Amino acid sequence: MTIGIPKALLYYKYHILWENFFSYLNINTVTSPSTNKEILDVGIKNSIDEACLSLKIYLGHIKYLCGKCDYVLIPRIVSLNKNEKLCTNFSALYDIVKNTYKVKILNYNIDVDKNYDELYAFVSMARELGISRYKAVKAYIYAKEKEKEDETAKIIKQESLIKTNKLKILIAGHDYNIYDEFVGKPIIDYLKKMDVVPITSNICKKIYTDFDYKMISKDLYWTYNKEILSSINHYLKEVDGIILISTFPCGPDSLSNEIVVRKIKNKPIITIIIDELNNSSGLITRLESFVDILKERKGMNLYE
Amino acid sequence: MSNKTISFPHLGKYYIPVEYLLKKVTNLNVSPSPPITKKTIDLGSKYSPDFVCIPFKYNLGNLIESLDNGANILLQAGGGCRYGYYKEIQEVILKDMGYKFDFYTLTEEGKVDLKYIFKTFKKLNQDLSFIKFAHYALLTLLMIDYMDNIDDFIRLNIGFEVNKNDFTNLNKKMLKDFTKCNNFFTLTFNYLKYKRKFKKIKINKPKNPLKVGIIGELYTSMEPFSSYFLETELAKMNIQVKRFTNVSYLLLKKKFKKNKMLKYAKDYITYPIGADGLDNVYRTKKLIHDGYDGIIHIKPFGCTPEIGAMPIIKNICKDYKMPIIYFSFDNQISVEGIKTRLEAFYDMLMMKKGGKQ
Amino acid sequence: MNKCYLGIDIGSISTKGVIIDEDNKILASGYIWTKGNPIKAVKDLLKILREQFNDEDYKIVNVGTTGSARKLIGAMLSASTVKNEITAHAIGTISKYPNVKTILEIGGQDSKIIIVEDKIVTDYAMNTLCAAGTGSFLSSQAKRLDVDVEDFGKIALTSKNPTKIAARCTVFAESDLVHKAGSGYKKEDIIAGLCRSIVLNYLNNVGKGKKIKSPIVFQGGVSKNIGVVKAFEDVLNEKIIVDENSHLMGALGVAILSKQEKEEHIFDFNIIDLEFETKAIECQKCPNHCEIITIKKDNKIIDSWGNRCERGTI
Repeated sequence: MTIGIPKALLYYKYHILWENFFSYLNINTVTSPSTNKEILDVGIKNSIDEACLSLKIYLGHIKYLCGKCDYVLIPRIVSLNKNEKLCTNFSALYDIVKNTYKVKILNYNIDVDKNYDELYAFVSMARELGISRYKAVKAYIYAKEKEKEDETAKIIKQESLIKTNKLKILIAGHDYNIYDEFVGKPIIDYLKKMDVVPITSNICKKIYTDFDYKMISKDLYWTYNKEILSSINHYLKEVDGIILISTFPCGPDSLSNEIVVRKIKNKPIITIIIDELNNSSGLITRLESFVDILKERKGMNLYE
Repeated sequence: MSNKTISFPHLGKYYIPVEYLLKKVTNLNVSPSPPITKKTIDLGSKYSPDFVCIPFKYNLGNLIESLDNGANILLQAGGGCRYGYYKEIQEVILKDMGYKFDFYTLTEEGKVDLKYIFKTFKKLNQDLSFIKFAHYALLTLLMIDYMDNIDDFIRLNIGFEVNKNDFTNLNKKMLKDFTKCNNFFTLTFNYLKYKRKFKKIKINKPKNPLKVGIIGELYTSMEPFSSYFLETELAKMNIQVKRFTNVSYLLLKKKFKKNKMLKYAKDYITYPIGADGLDNVYRTKKLIHDGYDGIIHIKPFGCTPEIGAMPIIKNICKDYKMPIIYFSFDNQISVEGIKTRLEAFYDMLMMKKGGKQ
Repeated sequence: MNKCYLGIDIGSISTKGVIIDEDNKILASGYIWTKGNPIKAVKDLLKILREQFNDEDYKIVNVGTTGSARKLIGAMLSASTVKNEITAHAIGTISKYPNVKTILEIGGQDSKIIIVEDKIVTDYAMNTLCAAGTGSFLSSQAKRLDVDVEDFGKIALTSKNPTKIAARCTVFAESDLVHKAGSGYKKEDIIAGLCRSIVLNYLNNVGKGKKIKSPIVFQGGVSKNIGVVKAFEDVLNEKIIVDENSHLMGALGVAILSKQEKEEHIFDFNIIDLEFETKAIECQKCPNHCEIITIKKDNKIIDSWGNRCERGTI
């Protein structure tokens, strides 16, 4: 039996957890490759026009997995904490895919507000594959530990990067945008080429992410956007500038980016919206001038 | 009367019950935002984030016009989806523009809670007793329910009225009388009286008229300006219109219907998909079942929950060969384009029905 | 005296007209540029039609108008039928090709697709936002490449290896075109590539999610471009029918529709000599600032539209 894992959306948040869970249970997984032109085009073709680019990319990855696996892993997540929500795309993902392709989907449903937590999701997913509750819980605990290790390692690495004297820019956005080959990757690659240290918003101690967002926004209730805001608040003093990455037309980001730009006055920020028409030369020009501004600011500080 | 003026943004005719409630439970001057005009949406768009959904822009435009009119307390409904987060951003934007005001919401995280609303009103009027508040809040809810019932009836029949504006004029009169009521008895008495009057309005309705259902996102469904008066256009074409979304549905009925809707549409949908997505999937099937001739799906450009529902709705309509047309509204849409597409939709339905174009 | 019907399709770029008899046979037809002045265009068109028209045997008993200026011209000619262009095109095409299943239409500034089943329109789509892949885009690119737009198709057919051009959006297509032209691609390959990209753009936007089934009829101004026709055939792998009167289908359709009117209004060509004047007023009675358009015949207002409330009534 093989489980297909699309390398898009929540993959970037949970792949360590998923991969270890299945490997502990000796279940094969197949992951789609990083987003390429074909996946993107297929995704665009099979999506509603106005869907956000990240969702279009996701649907391209699912198509790639069709016929290559027995089940596709598609998480449906409504809420991860009490009184919080995710973008409704994550509530609808299961049904969107079901109505777009003929493919078998593993049941993975989290709605903490209604008392369906992550463990419940993994146990019921295992049940569908004929695996006992006991084994599933053990595999989940194992995978959770691995996830923690990975997270800690990433945080240590990022904290060490923070200490360098080079120009540092915080890349703030959803994991699935920051790391996507088509969305955030070109930006990160370019910054590295310019000898700038990219700090990514998804790597941040949980203890910060729970409370820090309130410094910027009081009412925000989208979990992932809260994490981004917390991370911005946490790294704010350390970095020279912030790049907000979003895909067009992301609903939660359209509001949370606005609050960031309006509340943070003393740090240069640019917002980069990636859409399917993306033309790289315009993007490079914007990044280049942004880096120049930051360098100049830093240079002036040195003189003082 | 104090020197404080409270104002709130528009949503169809619902400013009437909201104004009524505020007048009863606060001692403030109550003045709803000036009616929505092109200027409202121009102002709103100018100061809004770029690709935020269009209801935000209308709301913000309303609030700016309210403040320019002298309001110093603003009230926002709040609600689910992106609506719940409007207030904080709008507050920052308006303060950045230099306005000074207090800002309250009626709901918290999209949940309607009388206690929370009471707390809000208590801040506006410290002498307010819970009994008095509860009395008028429930009366207002009942008024909204009655309004919506009459509205449903109007939509089914206004396309066939013999004397122009009969329905609209009577509705205006009814709402005026509603706001004079102070207890459940007189309100219900008035409702029943007007219900009879509405039934007596002369209509010229064929046995099998063209029937169209409107589904989609709530703001564009309920604020006629934002859909370029879609329902009025349909009435001009002599069409019977059914629309499910209204405030009494969202506040009072929606949450009891979830399981029923999931069961009814289970071949197409497994989970609630956020905001009114499930509701609209259910409605699509229901309209087909009820013998409607076509469906119009409306939403603000980029509305995430509706975009999630669209692949499902498309599949249902394909399977049942149900004509459907989708409209996405934002502030740079061509009105002529909408009209042309709507006219063609009408012709298509007529052709299918076998009538004359 | 036999009855006949006049149909006029007035778009932003061109104005088309036909006169048909009771059997939908075309008695007279005309095609001219609108040049931003619909009233003058229609008068010129009527002059052309009058020359072909035999007024001893026939009389025009009804007039229909369609296209973006349908309302204005409808008021001017006292048309009995004023129809949107989607329906008009469908009716016109179905009258000539009763089996048609798909109608592709690319005009001056918009494009549409109409799906037909058993002579009934079952689905349609129309692009209203983007001009990429429409006639006006083609002619501006032709100018850029210093080629006469009428020769575009012929040149495209000589290409063996069409260049890939990104045509998702006018702006990008233009910059891509400039880039490709600058990097030494052959002109015929670029032109063929442009034709192909128009087709791909059309299918991806307007035709997205639509089942394109044969018989397929292609019409509108761009259908006269054999390069684009060829590209459609290559991409869809189906035969594409282009009628010799493909540009007149809208006018034909609305003329047929006007036949269904119960009442008749005899049309007189003398209208050419009357003075018509349109005026757009921005109503100042409320902040809606509705743009009210009035049309005057010999200084008398005959119609007005555009106001959204009673305040603006004239």
